[in-house]
Amino acid sequence: MFLQQLINGLAQGSLFALIAISFSLVWGLLRMVNFAMGEVYMLGAYAGWLVVMYATPNLGVALVAGFVIGWIVGWFIEKVAFKAMRGVPHIASLVCTIGFSFFLKELASALFRAETKSMPSYYSDTAFTFAEANISYLQIIMVVIAVVMMVLLQILFYRTKIGLAVRAVALDYRTASLMGMKVDRVTSLAFSLSGALAGFVGVLAATYYNAVNASMGFVAGLKGFTAAVFGGITSIPGAILGGYLLGAIENLSVKYMSSGYRDLVSYFILITFLLFRPNGILGKKAKL
Amino acid sequence: MQNKWHSLVGVTLLVGGATGAWAAPSTIHIALTAPITGDYAEYGNNFKHSVELAIEEINGKGGALGKKFELSVGDSKGDPKESAILAQKWTSDSTILAEIGDFTSTCCMASQPIYNRAGVIQLSPTASHTKFASGSKWSFSAYGTQYWEQPVMASLAVDKLKLKTAAILYINNDWGVDTQKFFKENFEKRGGKILAEESYFSGETDFNAVLTKLKGAKPDALFIATMYNDGALISKQREKMGWNLPVIGSSALYSPQLIQLGGTAVNGVYSNVSFFAKDPDPRIQSFVKTFETRYGNSPNFAAALAYDCVYLLAEAVKRANAMDRSAVRDALAATKDFKGLAGSITFTQDRDAIKSYKPVQVVNGDFQLVK
Repeated sequence: MFLQQLINGLAQGSLFALIAISFSLVWGLLRMVNFAMGEVYMLGAYAGWLVVMYATPNLGVALVAGFVIGWIVGWFIEKVAFKAMRGVPHIASLVCTIGFSFFLKELASALFRAETKSMPSYYSDTAFTFAEANISYLQIIMVVIAVVMMVLLQILFYRTKIGLAVRAVALDYRTASLMGMKVDRVTSLAFSLSGALAGFVGVLAATYYNAVNASMGFVAGLKGFTAAVFGGITSIPGAILGGYLLGAIENLSVKYMSSGYRDLVSYFILITFLLFRPNGILGKKAKL
Repeated sequence: MQNKWHSLVGVTLLVGGATGAWAAPSTIHIALTAPITGDYAEYGNNFKHSVELAIEEINGKGGALGKKFELSVGDSKGDPKESAILAQKWTSDSTILAEIGDFTSTCCMASQPIYNRAGVIQLSPTASHTKFASGSKWSFSAYGTQYWEQPVMASLAVDKLKLKTAAILYINNDWGVDTQKFFKENFEKRGGKILAEESYFSGETDFNAVLTKLKGAKPDALFIATMYNDGALISKQREKMGWNLPVIGSSALYSPQLIQLGGTAVNGVYSNVSFFAKDPDPRIQSFVKTFETRYGNSPNFAAALAYDCVYLLAEAVKRANAMDRSAVRDALAATKDFKGLAGSITFTQDRDAIKSYKPVQVVNGDFQLVK
């Protein structure tokens, strides 16, 4: 059963890791937290659900829909909460994202009615059984997606011109703009990308848990943030590591303690790391 | 000085609300607190629709004491804080005679002190926590408590299904803890053994870990003290794990939504009812038909109970022959053998309803009475 819990943890960890990356993208660029990330994830899940229920049963299309909706919402949040509030104290943007979080949640309950929607299963068959532990195709797919995403983003940031631009803006946006860089466009791009990633994970989570509802984003967002702080919010590999560790720790804490302690453990990690090691396990000051 | 002034106004408002000068109202004004949105929205909308239906019927027949019923609806979102805020709102309105609601025991118990202080009837269709109705002389539950419900499920498990061991998964709130406690007590009393118990908090979506743990205990059956939405989710994740065993739940699982959400994964799940939509009783059939044509879905137990609550109040007002909060309360407490859609209601000393429950099972995507 230890192995089964570890596998459950890794699958859940993939979801945490991908949300954590969304947080790191925004943090890396603006030193800001977008607390509406969980709600972008929730809207992505709804987009995926709508596609599957009303357009085509193709999960690939649903994932793309989540990505696109996430992109649009991420872009919009940046325009309102960050661009329009540049120059005013950071706290205003932060509170604005919290406002967005509630706004989007209530919007979804108004649009789709509040009850939980059922998402069909995909690839839920057991791929193989190893020492009494069942591993499903979807669990493997989730882990592969998380790792591939990490690699792609690393390439994007360290091997392309766009990545160079993002890193330059992250380092010092005033100087970058004095050098003639289009700071707004770069910021907007990174924000949209982080939203798209959250929307994409939303569809993945909806498929894994077979459920979509308006309040699914809150805990997911908080756990993603915890994973990001845990692994190191300034680094993408850190975010991934944080996600997997958090997933594994949570699931094993159910095994060795009681399921009631699961969230307690996660938030204990969040508080401890914020207090004693705010840069996380892998994070350094001002990387990316 | 300003602070003093504020608190003075506050006290005046409170006292004003509590004593509530009755200026011979022209209607019987009742308030409904229900989770119209949020995780329990299906139950909340069932409340709202059936209360509206009942009021329309009663008003069509001339109301009570020659006065028509008037309804105010508040959305508690299933949140105890919201429920308490609504309680403040209702109790400060002196025209309100009684409140129907809320859905969860937790919400009812959070707002109970406010109704108690103000002296307003708090009649919950569904609160089944044993400490709810007994907590204040103004609180009533039309549902019956888990104390009466769980012996039925435990007896089904042990006597009929011959199950010897069980694992329990329950939601960690007032209701879940109570349901878990009474199932365990009754199951063990009949010689059954509980091998593992785990809880989770409202809003959880990942049950893989906890199900894996419970599976490790190798029980004969799984008892789930959850609402329909979590029940469906748990069943789906359990099916994916390839863990097949008899699943027993409480009456909260009895909802068409359980089947819509859970699909084939909820086939075989046991629940119980005091109200059964396919009951051939003509009164129930006419209610179900009107409800379905008007709202497009079949009523669940919450709808039937909320409907009964309106009639309970109407009858109490008639018997009290007065529009006074305390006279109506006394008349309500004296209710005996009231014939409702969800079985007959007699209030105990603690203002809990004694009811009878029939086990049901999901068979091929539909609820059927267990024979």
